[in-house]
Amino acid sequence: MIVAKRKPFNEIKSLLKDYKKVLNVGCGTCVAVCLAGGEKEVAVLNAELDMARKLEDNPVEMGAITVERQCDREYLEALDSLVNGYDALLSMACGAGIQFLAERYPEKPVLPAVDTTFIGVNQGVGWYEERCRSCSSCVLGLTGGICPVTMCAKGLYNGPCGGTNKGNCEIDKNQPCAWYMIYERLKAQNRLDCILEITPPSDWQNQIPRTVIQPGYKKPEKV
Amino acid sequence: MISPKLVEVGRHLNVNIITNSEIKSVEGEPGNFTVTLVNHPRYIDPVKCTGCGECAMHCPVTAVNSYNKGLDDRRATFIEYPQAVPLAFGIDTDTCIGCGLCENMCVAKAIRYDDTERESALTVGSIILAAGSQGYDPSKLDFLGYGKFANVVTSEEFERILSASGPYRGHLCRPLDREEPKKIAWLQCIGSRETNKCGNGYCSSVCCMYAVKEAMIAKEHAHGDLDCAIFNMDIRTFGKDYEKYYLRAKDKDGVRFIKSRVHTVVEIPETGDLTVRFVNEAGEILEETFSMVVLSVGLQVPETSKILAQQLGIELDKYSFVETDPFTPVSTSRKGVYTCGVFQGPKDIPGSITEASAAACAAGSDLAVARGTDTKVIEMPDQQDVTAETPRIGVFVCNCGINIGGVVNVPAVTEYAATLPFVAYTDQNLFTCSQDTQDKIKEKIIEHKLNRVVVASCSPKTHEQMFMETLEACGLNRYLFEMANIRNQNSWIHSKTPDIATQKAKDLVRMAVARSAMLKQLNEKVISVNKQALVIGGGVAGMNAALGLGKQGFQVALLEKDASLGGYSRMLHHTIEGGDIQKYLKDLIADVIAHDKIEVITGARVVDFSGYKGNFTTSVLVGPENKKRTIKHGIIIVATGAGEYTPKEYGFNQDPRVVTQVQLGDILEEKGAADLSSVVMIQCVGSRNEENENCSRICCQNAVKNALIIKKQNPEANVFVLYRDIRTYGLMEDFYKEARNLGVIFIRFEPENPPKVEPAAEGMMVTIKDHILQKNLEIRADLVTLSAGMVAEDTTELCGIMKFNRNPEGYFIEAHVKLRPVDMPGDGIFLCGTAHGPKLITEAIAQAQAAASRATTFLSKSEIKLSAITAQVDTEHCVKCLTCVRSCPFNVPVFNTEKQVIEIDEAICHGCGICAGVCPRQTIQLNYYEDDQILCKIDALLAGGM
Repeated sequence: MIVAKRKPFNEIKSLLKDYKKVLNVGCGTCVAVCLAGGEKEVAVLNAELDMARKLEDNPVEMGAITVERQCDREYLEALDSLVNGYDALLSMACGAGIQFLAERYPEKPVLPAVDTTFIGVNQGVGWYEERCRSCSSCVLGLTGGICPVTMCAKGLYNGPCGGTNKGNCEIDKNQPCAWYMIYERLKAQNRLDCILEITPPSDWQNQIPRTVIQPGYKKPEKV
Repeated sequence: MISPKLVEVGRHLNVNIITNSEIKSVEGEPGNFTVTLVNHPRYIDPVKCTGCGECAMHCPVTAVNSYNKGLDDRRATFIEYPQAVPLAFGIDTDTCIGCGLCENMCVAKAIRYDDTERESALTVGSIILAAGSQGYDPSKLDFLGYGKFANVVTSEEFERILSASGPYRGHLCRPLDREEPKKIAWLQCIGSRETNKCGNGYCSSVCCMYAVKEAMIAKEHAHGDLDCAIFNMDIRTFGKDYEKYYLRAKDKDGVRFIKSRVHTVVEIPETGDLTVRFVNEAGEILEETFSMVVLSVGLQVPETSKILAQQLGIELDKYSFVETDPFTPVSTSRKGVYTCGVFQGPKDIPGSITEASAAACAAGSDLAVARGTDTKVIEMPDQQDVTAETPRIGVFVCNCGINIGGVVNVPAVTEYAATLPFVAYTDQNLFTCSQDTQDKIKEKIIEHKLNRVVVASCSPKTHEQMFMETLEACGLNRYLFEMANIRNQNSWIHSKTPDIATQKAKDLVRMAVARSAMLKQLNEKVISVNKQALVIGGGVAGMNAALGLGKQGFQVALLEKDASLGGYSRMLHHTIEGGDIQKYLKDLIADVIAHDKIEVITGARVVDFSGYKGNFTTSVLVGPENKKRTIKHGIIIVATGAGEYTPKEYGFNQDPRVVTQVQLGDILEEKGAADLSSVVMIQCVGSRNEENENCSRICCQNAVKNALIIKKQNPEANVFVLYRDIRTYGLMEDFYKEARNLGVIFIRFEPENPPKVEPAAEGMMVTIKDHILQKNLEIRADLVTLSAGMVAEDTTELCGIMKFNRNPEGYFIEAHVKLRPVDMPGDGIFLCGTAHGPKLITEAIAQAQAAASRATTFLSKSEIKLSAITAQVDTEHCVKCLTCVRSCPFNVPVFNTEKQVIEIDEAICHGCGICAGVCPRQTIQLNYYEDDQILCKIDALLAGGM
């Protein structure tokens, strides 16, 4: 799941300072599940903005709607009849959703209310941890199910490096060394030979937006 | 904490409360007693009195407030405390001057100066004595300075000082100058464990724990660093999880614990501070100055209870506690008369509550044939459906005598209410809660076709249920009711500013009316109750629970995983009092097997479980051939028990000369003590350590019990008990004293410096550092006995299937540690015996009877009405984020893997609303508290302008 956290309130307030009528658009999928941008968070943020702007003698009219997913155009259709009534749109979706919204309504300022943080897991209520950097070349099959790109401070595909320190990373003694964990896991599974396999480094240079077309599908000529 | 219980008892249809009365005599037989009561005059009619307090406000007489332990004043017309039940005032004629002011002021006309002492008679089948205790009066212990020095207070007084409703409104002050103390000393065992001056040889059981609690709360209330020191002989935090609290106080919050009995307390006249003189363990005489001294006074039986026992012909022990047998802990010497609480023996709140339920079980068993024959039931008319109707709201504004009306302009509020949307009728009443007003409300509901009612008066906590019943009585759904609290939250606070109070009353009424219009009628689901009980565990607790239910006429399936009944008690021989456990067990097993209502299923293993209160289904595999049985039952009693810890310490299992207390019990039973010349016992093995922080409660008395047997059989034998704190609580202190008198030597050690046990040329050599000599002692022993703690039976598999919650030590968790000690968090599931925590056989029996009693309250009903206030999920919009599943304290929401949706079962939902609050997509609504029904109140408030 994509995990986001709400931006500091003052930052949101300052982004909206010039607008009198703003539609706050929540997203009912990842950001709802990580308690950052579902119906409840939209309602809470709107109430806060409403009060803060009243106190500043600069009232704002906040609209609220939460769509199923902001990254699917069919779900954005519900907004078409609404956006014209507003000066700006505030999105509580992840970066992808915010951009998709901006793309659909190019004439409207679309502003982010959350910082998209990582792809991660839910450890408990309100507690999330990063697990994946979407590097496009997964090595988990060789690393005992522990991602070195995410968990190693250097994102090394081959490790450990010289900075490994009694199970921890040289950057911080509270930060476990990913490659130490990988070693321990593989050893327990009797698969230590995996660690000897060399993975070529990812080409992080010249990154451009990636596109995926699943087998059996093709990109339509016209959207 | 106690208020809801008071309200429940006060409103219970079949609990008749007779206050201000005493028993004169009891005639007759069990099942048919005639009790003659003396009803003392109250001088205020409790039926007419509404508790408004106007009389006390005008009473010119000042009297000492005994409820606040004399630390402040009250009037001659008074109520003991604001939550009192019945909520009715009385006149203290010792101080009343008869001025007549209260009679003039009382709008309810409740004053009866001519009230006289009367006699009345009651016919009952069983009697329970719960006469309680009083704190020891330390004035005669002149060396402590109580009564002489203002800043020496009893723990009861200190309790009131800390209370928000106490004399200093919860501000930590000392009596002399109302200054905040910087240093407080607690002196333990005042009026307990002392035969010299006060004659109370027993341990009061509760003082160590309350002293620690008082120190912790005092630290919370203090504005700076408060230094707290507790002077004690032993710290006896033996209750479930109490040791953890003690450790927190000692290690985290810096409460000091000093092993010493204080010699004298002397006041420094200039400052009012107190110098405490004591001897430390090294034998040095020390002095320390404190700003305040708290005397931790013990519990004792009041004189009046002794007279009561005499009148009833009940035998008391030498300390005037009711004489009971270890195997029938709540039965008195007179048949049909039972007892519970501190009158039975010193004990804490959970112990008292457990015993209270046990006494109810015993008393109820005698009367089982007559159940339901003398109880009252309210008949309700059929409910009308008003869903489609436009709201027609009736608003009733209360004057509460002059409690509200004296401050708030009630006519103006009533007029204002009439202008609000959907309001069809308004009225004002002198007392909206009085019986005649209920009749009037019913009349008006019918006359004006009202379909919503708002009462603007006092607290819903005490009055909502009653008004809801009034609605039901004229066919209106009880959930179409709303209250505005214009007394507690308004007229009482803003009494000096009537205009503002009137405005606020209007705001509160406007909010209530807005919500009232949004209310929906809700239907309470009615479920039938299966009358069969399932008891898991066939030890002493399980068998007693089964018998308790069987005697009340309920069918019981008693599951035992072993091939035969008895549980761990089969390993035990005698109680410390000398009760023969094996004989008791034999009789108990025979009773259980012979009982026609109890089906014993041995060799049983639970394999499947489903359902909810009143309707459970459990599957078990039985016997060596694993025959599957499915049992349908309405309640569950868990009594899976515990056993003795198998020590890893002190060479146990390596040397046959190192045994546990239970093994020593076997040796003494088989061979006696004749060939023992020196026995060393080591306490707290497997308890009070890192692995198991808790005290195992039973091991100190076990050591004393076995030490006494050895000393009595073979006075020449040396017995040494190496201990940390001796915890022979309650009446068992006498046995500890007896052991010392017989020459058992007790040597204290610190956990950092435990004894060493090594094999020697002859027997074993135990080395221990003596805390007084500060030198190592070497003791030769032919037997080293380890007082091994208790470990809960392994119930991992059972808990996996039945979803019961256990604490880290493997004991089951009760619904509320203090108030619901035998209820499990899930409704219809109860708990008893050592499955709950370490306890003595006597305590396990009482708890088993208590569990049976609690289960009876369930099983005696044919059907249960579930609360309509439950959470509902809109599965269409739910994103299954599991936040509700993870947040529910009762584990109610679940992900149904078949239907792929989150489900909340209304039969087990407690209606707390946490899930509705945390749901990120707002797809969960709590009935009666839907978002709209709350937000509309805020909108209504803001619409009036702030």
